[in-house]
Amino acid sequence: MTITLHVNGKPHVLDIDPQMPLLWALRDHVGLTGTKYGCGQALCGACVVHLDGEAVRACVTPVRRADGRAVTTIEGLSPDGSHPLQKAWVELAVPQCGFCQAGQIMTAAALLAKNPSPSDADIDTSLAGNLCRCGTYLRIRTAVKQAAAAGGKEK
Amino acid sequence: MSGPPIRLLRRSFLAGLGGALSGLALGSFARAEPALPPAVDPAAKAAAEAEGAGLRPNLFVHVTPNGGVQIVCARSEMGQGVRSSLPVLIADELGADMSRVEVVQAPGDPAYGDQNTDGSHSVRGFYDALRKLGACARMMLIAAAAKQWKVAPNTCTAHDHAVHHEASGRSLGFGELAIAASKLPVPKDILLRPKAELLHVGKDLPLLDGPAIVDGSAAYGADIVLPGMRTAIVARPPVVGGRATAHDATGALAVPGVRAVVPLPAPTPPFAFQPLGGIAVVADDTWSAMRGRAQLEITWAAGANGEYDSETYRKTLLAAVGLPGVVVREVGDVGAAMAGAARRVEAVYHVPHLAHATMEPPAAVAQFHGQSCEVWASTQNPQAARTSVAKALGLDEENVTVHVTLLGGGFGRKSKPDYVVEAALLAKATGAPVRVQWTREDDIQHDYYHTVSTQRLVAGLDAQGKVVAWEHRTAFPPIGSTFSDTALSAPGELQQGVLDVPLAIANVRAENCEARAHTRIGWLRSVANIYHAFAVQSFIAEIAAARSRDPRDTLLEIVGPPRIVTLKELGVESLPNYGQSLDEHPIDTARHRRVIERVTELADWDNRQKNGRALGLAVHRSFLTYVAVVVSVVHGPDGKIRVDEVWSCLDAGTLVNRERVHSQFEGAVIFALSHALYGEITMQQGATVQSNFRDFRLMRFPDAPRAIHVEIVADDGPSCGVGEPGVPPVAPALANAIFALTGQRVRDLPIARSLKV
Amino acid sequence: MRLPACLVPCACLAALVACRGASEPAKQQAQTAQPVSIAPAEPGGLRAPEQFAGIADPVERSRALFLEASQVMLHPRCTNCHPAGDTPLQGDAAQIHDPPVVRGPANEGVPGLLCTSCHQDANLELARVPGAPKWHLAPIEMAWVGLTPAALCEQIKDPKRNGGKTLAQLVEHSAHDELVAWGWEPGHGRTPAPGTQAQFGALMAAWVADGAACPAGEGP
Repeated sequence: MTITLHVNGKPHVLDIDPQMPLLWALRDHVGLTGTKYGCGQALCGACVVHLDGEAVRACVTPVRRADGRAVTTIEGLSPDGSHPLQKAWVELAVPQCGFCQAGQIMTAAALLAKNPSPSDADIDTSLAGNLCRCGTYLRIRTAVKQAAAAGGKEK
Repeated sequence: MSGPPIRLLRRSFLAGLGGALSGLALGSFARAEPALPPAVDPAAKAAAEAEGAGLRPNLFVHVTPNGGVQIVCARSEMGQGVRSSLPVLIADELGADMSRVEVVQAPGDPAYGDQNTDGSHSVRGFYDALRKLGACARMMLIAAAAKQWKVAPNTCTAHDHAVHHEASGRSLGFGELAIAASKLPVPKDILLRPKAELLHVGKDLPLLDGPAIVDGSAAYGADIVLPGMRTAIVARPPVVGGRATAHDATGALAVPGVRAVVPLPAPTPPFAFQPLGGIAVVADDTWSAMRGRAQLEITWAAGANGEYDSETYRKTLLAAVGLPGVVVREVGDVGAAMAGAARRVEAVYHVPHLAHATMEPPAAVAQFHGQSCEVWASTQNPQAARTSVAKALGLDEENVTVHVTLLGGGFGRKSKPDYVVEAALLAKATGAPVRVQWTREDDIQHDYYHTVSTQRLVAGLDAQGKVVAWEHRTAFPPIGSTFSDTALSAPGELQQGVLDVPLAIANVRAENCEARAHTRIGWLRSVANIYHAFAVQSFIAEIAAARSRDPRDTLLEIVGPPRIVTLKELGVESLPNYGQSLDEHPIDTARHRRVIERVTELADWDNRQKNGRALGLAVHRSFLTYVAVVVSVVHGPDGKIRVDEVWSCLDAGTLVNRERVHSQFEGAVIFALSHALYGEITMQQGATVQSNFRDFRLMRFPDAPRAIHVEIVADDGPSCGVGEPGVPPVAPALANAIFALTGQRVRDLPIARSLKV
Repeated sequence: MRLPACLVPCACLAALVACRGASEPAKQQAQTAQPVSIAPAEPGGLRAPEQFAGIADPVERSRALFLEASQVMLHPRCTNCHPAGDTPLQGDAAQIHDPPVVRGPANEGVPGLLCTSCHQDANLELARVPGAPKWHLAPIEMAWVGLTPAALCEQIKDPKRNGGKTLAQLVEHSAHDELVAWGWEPGHGRTPAPGTQAQFGALMAAWVADGAACPAGEGP
């Protein structure tokens, strides 16, 4: 079956199993490896992408759900790392190993798109499904607030 | 162990170095672009290229004719910031402008010295060596400029990416000097700059890989793609030492995209770095391989460890510490002192197996070329990976190249190259490049676990409450069991919180009791310090409670007055001291006391009752670094206990990158709290019970403390470890805080076994 | 009205009814002349409406039908998403959902962590995440956890607390809603609700046909 994904603004026509998780379609077939595999059970958030602007966990989203729709991955969040979240992350040196951070940023971006001034509790609630084994949670909280203060969305 | 061997070379002698540079072609690494030069003579440039492209006096520094400087990082980056730190040391010594430096990751090769990124020794092991490597290049550039200007080299300085002759106001950029410098002899006597001239070392440094991480271009082990590459998912024996006695691949081979089902050889004990064996499904893509593995029908024979039950094993360990063991530390006469003691305090502590659970499960890519093999892996130990792959494939090591990607976490798991060997074996078996991808279930179920431990501590107190006798028994399957048939610990593990703990107590004895391993034991961030610090620092707080004294005062009393603690005082004949000499890195209780005093000051310890705060304190020296932690706990919603605030004060000697020191110690708090609160790997019938984050629970945002305060109390003296020392004091500080909050003393981790957290 | 094939002593029915906390029908039953026998369902099964035909009084019959249907509604597969708080529950032991998620303003989660961020329109082959169309929480006024069948009955009949549904719409929802359907095909080793959706729908229809009477019992 052919699936058409509009990934970061570019169409990709893929002849793949419609049940294949979007994560593997993106990584193995579209060739974008910024979205990570951390658990395969929607427990860790490393795989978060946007589907028509909503955060979804690509490791459990069958690619047929994304057929014909717009997928945004970390590579497409901004053309040049200029999203306020990306800038805050770099300025505050948020990442350690960095493996969870694409998912953290994509989840935070979905939050800021709907809630431009999240409270501490809002941040914890929206990011409660994102794990960081290196323990960067406190810096992430600060970075989300800094990005929110800077306008939150890409200009 | 002194510093690593340094080879100063005129030009690269390794095909592998070319491989490292080709790593750049993958777009993986450094972001800093070498700036374009002012005019460069094309003929000179061509000549330089013919000669090896500029100044390359050693494997670590390469100054190109266009002014770009490539600095090699030969330690693996797993978030601890080596790539952001070690190259700066070289660059500062050299006088390079970091924005014109490109960091290149070294492949696995002994020519780079020790590359086993483990044991918190990247900075302390390489501080002097790296400075010398940068200084060497500086001296040659200065010599080239001085020669051209016909002035004495000692009238020239190197900074801001150029050599300057202040007296005449002349400057030449590094690029302009590179070719000329490359023709000069490599100096024998290396002169280092005064420390004050190291402009960036010791400050908050930018995160080198930050931009690549946040835009998705940073490449980890599973992100490497080769043309024609297949992906393999392996069904491994549920029990270590088990093997597949029969398998039916029909269902797997029927899955579209599956190319082959390949049995892997079962390892022979001792297992060391051998893969576990099992049955591999090799497919066109990851999804097909996963679906294929789900269709395999396999009969497993469990093997010798098939009866292992971690609940039952608790009794075994408890019995072990109930009997005398091998005496590993002794001062005075504990027997007599205990007999004469007015009262005793006794406790038994248990810490379970833990899984590393790096955010990135192990993954490696291999390509086999008949007589050679090329591998890309997120590995902490590229040389061990190289040796293991060579051995498994029957190749000479020179014909194995190991490229090191970024690591999505290490914690010690990725020091063991079993997964790299799997990729190599499958690449050879299938004739195609193969990526082996471990699923999260594989990672949790087939780890080299942090060992399981039980410890018994007994203190004898006199009538005034002074501790006059101290007995510590520790039983844990040792790391050595993975490499040989042993049930007793090596000094390397015992030094971690048993042999090296300062105790101002006249009669001390520590014993190591035998414990057999029934799974693969590995090392996990701070290793034996985790359970030894938990027991010792909890026990000291129990002593304080028993005699109704302030835990901080009791701790300071037991640590004792400021002094250098000798081997004689410890009651040991020798101490590995993390591979450093005791002269250079003594056990200095003034430093213990300083971090204790500072952290309790920061946490407003003296007013905790008045402020209604439940605080717990612990101190621990590990990897030569002194760390004291205070944890504050509160009752959260639904009656759960939550960690509200944590303070961590450290003394790690001279620092290279303050920012990464802060981040490592912040992260260490979360890492340690996760384990102490919920971390537990259990086994039944030899197999691990847990399989994913559902049952190996980790701290999440809503659980994380409101604030973590890290303070560096000193920044001088020989450099000490940074990656691991932040971990050990956290668990006991937490247990002590919980005692302050609830009156309940938890001696059995994780806390979740006894309390709602 | 058909009589059931096998005879079960009156006491069994009384015991069954007593388990549900409604003692009056038992007394009334004991006072009627005719003993009513209803065979128990198979384990994991539901009795068909016809099996209640032996209860002569429609009100009593209606109550008994509701009690049978309530075995579905009060089963963990249903109550886990009809929680009394702001987080869904998981498993037969009704533990707090992990990862920690919250109801959100529209019963569908919060930005970045909507229910449908993880839950798809169907169960998955290899991942354990359950799925059905429009996965979301029942609004708080439809909380079922901790209710007795009597309280449940009052609640679902109340248009203010059942999303404005008529009885006919309730039956339609029970018999045909896709998210409700998931309860019987939950996937991955999860215990299904008893019986089938068709049987559940039939019980609800029969309950309504007999007057939609609620079991007597303790208050909500």
